[in-house]
Amino acid sequence: MNTDEALTIARQVVEGWAWKTETSQPEPYRLDVRLASKEDLIPIIVAFRVKRMGYLAAITGLDLGPEDGHLEVLYHFCTAAAVITLRLSIPREQASVPSLCSVIPSAEAFERELSEMFGVEVEGLPNPMRLYLPDDWSEGVYPLRKDVDEMALTSQVVMGEI
Amino acid sequence: MEKVQTSRSFTVPIGPQHPALKEPEHFLITVDGEIVTKAVVRLGYAHRGVEKATESRNWVQNIYILERICGICSHIHATAYCLGVEKLAGVEVPPRAQAIRVLVAEMERIHSHLLWLGVAAHEAGFDTLFMYSWRDRETIMDLLESLSGNRVNYSVNLLGGVKFDVDDELARLIYDGIDFLEKRTQHYLDVVTSDAMFLQRTRGIGTMTRSQADVLGTVGPTARASNVYRDIRVEAPYGAYGDFPVKIVLDERGDLEARFVVRIKELFESYRVIREILDNLPAGELSTRMPRRIQEGETVSRVEAPRGELFYFIKSNGTDTPERIKVRTPTICNMMSVVKLAVGHQLADVPMIVVGIDPCFSCNDRMTVVDRGQGQRQGWTWEALRRYGIRHYQRLAR
Repeated sequence: MNTDEALTIARQVVEGWAWKTETSQPEPYRLDVRLASKEDLIPIIVAFRVKRMGYLAAITGLDLGPEDGHLEVLYHFCTAAAVITLRLSIPREQASVPSLCSVIPSAEAFERELSEMFGVEVEGLPNPMRLYLPDDWSEGVYPLRKDVDEMALTSQVVMGEI
Repeated sequence: MEKVQTSRSFTVPIGPQHPALKEPEHFLITVDGEIVTKAVVRLGYAHRGVEKATESRNWVQNIYILERICGICSHIHATAYCLGVEKLAGVEVPPRAQAIRVLVAEMERIHSHLLWLGVAAHEAGFDTLFMYSWRDRETIMDLLESLSGNRVNYSVNLLGGVKFDVDDELARLIYDGIDFLEKRTQHYLDVVTSDAMFLQRTRGIGTMTRSQADVLGTVGPTARASNVYRDIRVEAPYGAYGDFPVKIVLDERGDLEARFVVRIKELFESYRVIREILDNLPAGELSTRMPRRIQEGETVSRVEAPRGELFYFIKSNGTDTPERIKVRTPTICNMMSVVKLAVGHQLADVPMIVVGIDPCFSCNDRMTVVDRGQGQRQGWTWEALRRYGIRHYQRLAR
């Protein structure tokens, strides 16, 4: 499958959810699909798998900050040069997304990272243990959130407060 | 810790750390007699918060911090970052700079693959091959030093170009080094595909089928050894790979031997591309002007590191510092394949299976065998596990 085919197939798949998604093409080889509801995430990814569309290259977490009150979770699927991004916006408080592990087992590492770094609960994760942060890291401190200051975090870690 | 079902199964924690490790891992391996029944991996012992650190440093400072994510593939990290930021800024980098980036990237691949060959040979108990391949690796390290002044962290990249030029004298040194290495590499290819003792450790071990490799999301030589067509240099050429195309190296067998063969054959591709670049190095400037503030936007930058696809997601908010930089390294993708592949193999094969993915791994030097049935603890080191594996196969050979 080449880049153009992948982009065309991804467009066709997403058209099935056209009234609940917003699709844009920020760069020639990229397709950015904003989902209105997290319930649609797994069905769309199953549809991608059925079409043999790419592989999950990464899951990116984005914190839009306390004023905005939202986190974004980006699922990047790559085929040849094409990068198809499924973009989910979730509230910062009680943030949660469904786990992809039942469809894509290799998502586990990415989801565990997302969960501990951004404080996003991943529902249905088979092994929700910490992957990167130390075992004695304080509950409720999510280092990649924007309201966590890097310098303060460093000194707290050095002083053993976290 | 994994619960033990029968009094005969053991849980073997391997790792995590040693002062010299650059990427320590901790494996928890459950064995029933000799056979591995479950493997769990725990990472993060060297997590330095680089992604967070980039958010409070400016675009230029971040080149240096990102280059230090990995000591082996430092150049490719900086390249992925610079290509992404240049794309966001809409800056066109001079062709000579792009060619030099690719030249250094291929030299880096050579040093990384030769390093891996040595490490893998050492784990198999083939220390002669280890010492020869590391001796030969010095050739490329010297060339990198001649080019940039550094053996590692060459710091070749700038936003908007490169710092170092390649003149005729240096080009001649590189030609000579490559000629020497090509002969040696042919010898290594012969050795790893014909030495009976070595093949015993690699042939048919850790086999991963094409669909497994695809579903597990493996990248780089690990995927290509299972016949998965996945190489960013070929699929989405970046830098000067459009002008100097690379041929993809695939193998159908999917076992450890295939991973050796794919990496060694990739070396020949690297030698060929380096010669081609030196023959046709475009004339012109080495760098172009970059704005201090990068316009708002998001981009994805994918490059082929020695270990596989390196993925950068970069978001700018229009200031002189990035809003977010996400780095997904190839080892994390491949590491998940290890815990699946190890199941069903002998404990003696674990070191080779782990090393087979080239996991930015030098020595998991501390290991404990926990006998859950007796409740006793016994200390093992990675070295002890390695020796155990070698002795196991020596016994078989008798």
